Order: sequence, then C-alpha cells, then structure tokens
Amino acid sequence: MRTIKVTVNGESHQAEVPDHRTLLDFLRQDLELMGTKSGCETGDCGACTVLLNGKAVNSCLVLAAEADGKEVLTVEGLAYPNRELHPLQEAFVEHGAIQCGYCTSGMLLSAKALLDEIPRPTEEEVKEALAGNLCRCTGYYSIIKAVQAAAEKMNR
Amino acid sequence: MVRKLRKFNYSRPGTVAEVVSLLKDYQEKASLLAGGTDLLVFMKLGGKNPKHVIDMKGITVLDHLSWTPADGLRIGCLTTLQSILRHPLIREHFPMLEQAAKALGHPQIRSRATVAGNICTASPSGDCAPSLLALDARVTVASPAGERTIPVREIFAGPFKTILAPTDVVTEIQVPALPPHSAGSYRWQPKITAVDETLVGVAAVVTLSDGGKTIKDVRIGLGSVAPTPMRAPRAEEFLRGKQITDSLFDEAAGIAAGESQPRTRAEYRREITRVLVEQALKEAVDRASRNGGNR
Ligand SMILES: Cc1cc2nc3c(=O)[nH]c(=O)nc-3n(C[C@H](O)[C@H](O)[C@H](O)COP(=O)(O)OP(=O)(O)OC[C@H]3O[C@@H](n4cnc5c(N)ncnc54)[C@H](O)[C@@H]3O)c2cc1C
Repeated sequence: MRTIKVTVNGESHQAEVPDHRTLLDFLRQDLELMGTKSGCETGDCGACTVLLNGKAVNSCLVLAAEADGKEVLTVEGLAYPNRELHPLQEAFVEHGAIQCGYCTSGMLLSAKALLDEIPRPTEEEVKEALAGNLCRCTGYYSIIKAVQAAAEKMNR
Repeated sequence: MVRKLRKFNYSRPGTVAEVVSLLKDYQEKASLLAGGTDLLVFMKLGGKNPKHVIDMKGITVLDHLSWTPADGLRIGCLTTLQSILRHPLIREHFPMLEQAAKALGHPQIRSRATVAGNICTASPSGDCAPSLLALDARVTVASPAGERTIPVREIFAGPFKTILAPTDVVTEIQVPALPPHSAGSYRWQPKITAVDETLVGVAAVVTLSDGGKTIKDVRIGLGSVAPTPMRAPRAEEFLRGKQITDSLFDEAAGIAAGESQPRTRAEYRREITRVLVEQALKEAVDRASRNGGNR
C-alpha cells in the first residue's frame, strides 16, 4: 500500500492504494468516476484513455502509483465547471458520433489532446490522433467530422 | 481472461545507482518499468510475474535527447516515442527514426513507450530495432560491475530475449553521426489488426560517393522476418561500391529477401521484404542526394 496524491479534474485527492492498482481501477473503484471505461485492459482499444499531465494515455497501462503528483483529466472533467458541455461533446452529439457510447469517453479525450496540440487538425491528423481508439459500431467518419466541427467552433 | 495485475512491490528510486543496487538484491524477481506498455501487458497476460517493479521514471535526467557532430545522437532510456516524433533534431539528422516512431503503436502508446524499452523487449517485430541496427547504434549499460557499451546488433538473443543480465540497466542509446552524403529510411507494412503490429519492417542507411552515383556504404536492418531483428549482410555486400542503375535496388532487394528467415507467412513476408527493401534503399538514396545529404 502507498499514499498517493493525484489531481483529478482539478480536484486534489489523497488516497491509500495497493501498489498493483492501475490508474483505471483507481479512477473507477476508488474515486467512483465511471466515465472512463475498461475495455481490453492491454492498451489496444483506447476505452480507458485519460489525459495524464495533458497527454493521452491508456489508464489500464498506468499504475496509480505512477500518477502520484500528477494531473489527470477524465471525461467527467471535460465539461466546463458550469456543467455546459465541452465543444467536443456538443459536436459529438450534433454529428451522431455516439452509438453505444462505450468508446466515447476515450475518443473525446484523445480528441482533446489533439486539439490542445494542433488547434486546426487536418482529417489525416484527426485519424492519426484517434488511431488508438476503437469503435465497434463503426462510427469513425461521424467521429472525425465531429472533431473537426469542434475545432472550427473553438477557433472561431 | 482476467487481465488484472497480480501483487507486487513498487519502488521509484531517484538514481541509477539505487536502481542497480535494488536489482542486485532482487535479481530476476524484479522488473524495470519504463513506459510499461510491454511490461504491464506481459504481467496482465501472465508472461511475467515480478515481485518487485522498479520504476525508472523518477530518474528524470534519463529523459533526454541531444545531437552533436562528435557524439552523434544520444537518446536517454526514458525518452518516449512521442518525443522522437516531430523532434527537430530527429527531423534534421535522422528522419528514419521519425518514421519508426510513426510505425510504433498509437498516440496513447507513444506517449508512454520508450525507445530503450522497445529494444529491451526484443520483440522480433519491434519497430526501432531495424533502424538502430542499420545506424550501427550502441547502448550504454549500467550494472553492479560498472558501465559498458554494447552494439545494438549484439543485444538480441532470440524472440523476446536479450543478452542483458537481470541486473543490467540500459541508460542511453547512442547513434553515431553519419558521414557526409548519407541518409536513411524506414519502411514498414503493418498487419491489419487492432494494434497494427509490424508484419515486416525495413531500414536502410546509405552513403553515396562519386557525386551521388555510387553506393559507397550501406547497412540494411530487417524486422519481423527472423527470430530476432537482423542485418542483411549479403545484400549490403552486393551493393557496396556499385554504381546506381535502374535495376540495382531491385536486385539487392531480392538478395535481402533471400536472406530473411521468416517463420510464419514466409512467402508473403519475403515478398513484402523485397518490396520494402527496394523502397527503403530508394528513399535513403533520395535523401542522401539532397541537401549535401547529411541526413
Ligand atoms: C497497443 C500496443 C501497441 C503496440 N504497438 C507497437 C508497434 O507498433 N511497434 C512496436 O515495436 N511495439 C509496439 N508495442 C510494444 C511497446 O509499446 C514497445 O515495445 C515499447 O517501446 C516498450 O517500451 P516501454 O517503455 O513501454 O517498456 P516497458 O514496458 O516499461 O519495458 C519493456 C521491457 O524492457 C525492460 N526495460 C525497460 N527499460 C529498460 C532499461 N532502460 N534497461 C533495461 N531493461 C529495460 C522492462 O523491464 C521490460 O521487460 C505496442 C504495445 C501496445 C500495448
């Protein structure tokens, strides 16, 4: 067991966790933030994507202990503090980029990492940024369109 | 399948000396943790079960990348593939390494995965190995007996096996500066699966002479076509000193494909090897001919 201090969605948390706890399980089980999904558990599907110090990572392949002292953003923290949806979330709704929704939180966070780095991405850049997020309802094109629409809105 | 981690003790030392001393105590009961994109997967799938996981990311000085004409490129063992991608020094001096970074995984993986971890895992299909072989790279290793330097071509012992001891820590990768009129290329063909693992990866480094008309020197690295990443010595020998003609690279590619030793999908892999060797040689020559070719 060890004590870790992690800032999640702007809020500082101190917790006792076993050494073998993943960041994913820490978020879901300890903090009860269920927006981050558990998929393949081996880094293939991207359902568990969160931002760790601003970078998209598979939280299933990060130990909670490794997040000690760091900042984590999950889908719960994406909406603005006044609970208004983030432009990416709005665009996903408007463009029908969500079917079953299991991949959505991961998609949103990968897209957020992209727009933070490249505010006006090309279609190719969007595809590359989402390469680690699998959608099994095959909604890729509506997702790509949504990310580009959000980028446009945010640059206005 | 459960795919959960079993219990272990985690530690995060702040110096290489501390890491070495912990490894000396724990020996094969310990695993080093860099990005964890291989280690944690192996642990979840049952292939590895260390009692101690030693995280190196507390040693922040190991995350570095520098280039000088004398030392060439130096890549710290914590440098991620994300840092390699789009890095101005990599773009300027070793664009083939940017190609290798692009081939490796996806953004979430690249933001964690290290070049050193890729080499230490020693997957036959690892995307960094062909380029590092073709660039004649070396690694610096710290151990209880002190520090030593090993050429990358001596590291691989078999599929997912290196010659490194449980107490060895790779601290740095060194890529010597290329002579004038030199350049490299990495070309790969992925399998079409969820993770797009590399089916064949080919790196070529050429040095031109005679105003760009002759191959003065060449090294070819092949990935995923043998139990370990390998060089293609017969194709290299064939090319060395030859004048560039329309059919030269096609012939060389045929020789390299013949040298490859794919274990599965052999015929297909050999054919892809042939195609990619030709592409990589042509791209390397093209780059070497431009800008005085010092790339
Ligand atoms: C979804 C997914 C996709 C992937 N796609 C690719 C791909 O396309 N191409 C590819 O080549 N790989 C791929 N990989 C494999 C992996 O990401 C790479 O091999 C990566 O570079 C490993 O680096 P790491 O820092 O994560 O290593 P870790 O997992 O931290 O370590 C890997 C191994 O090396 C040892 N080790 C690490 N650093 C050192 C050191 N400095 N000294 C001594 N030993 C050390 C560890 O103990 C461990 O045994 C993929 C992995 C996943 C999960």
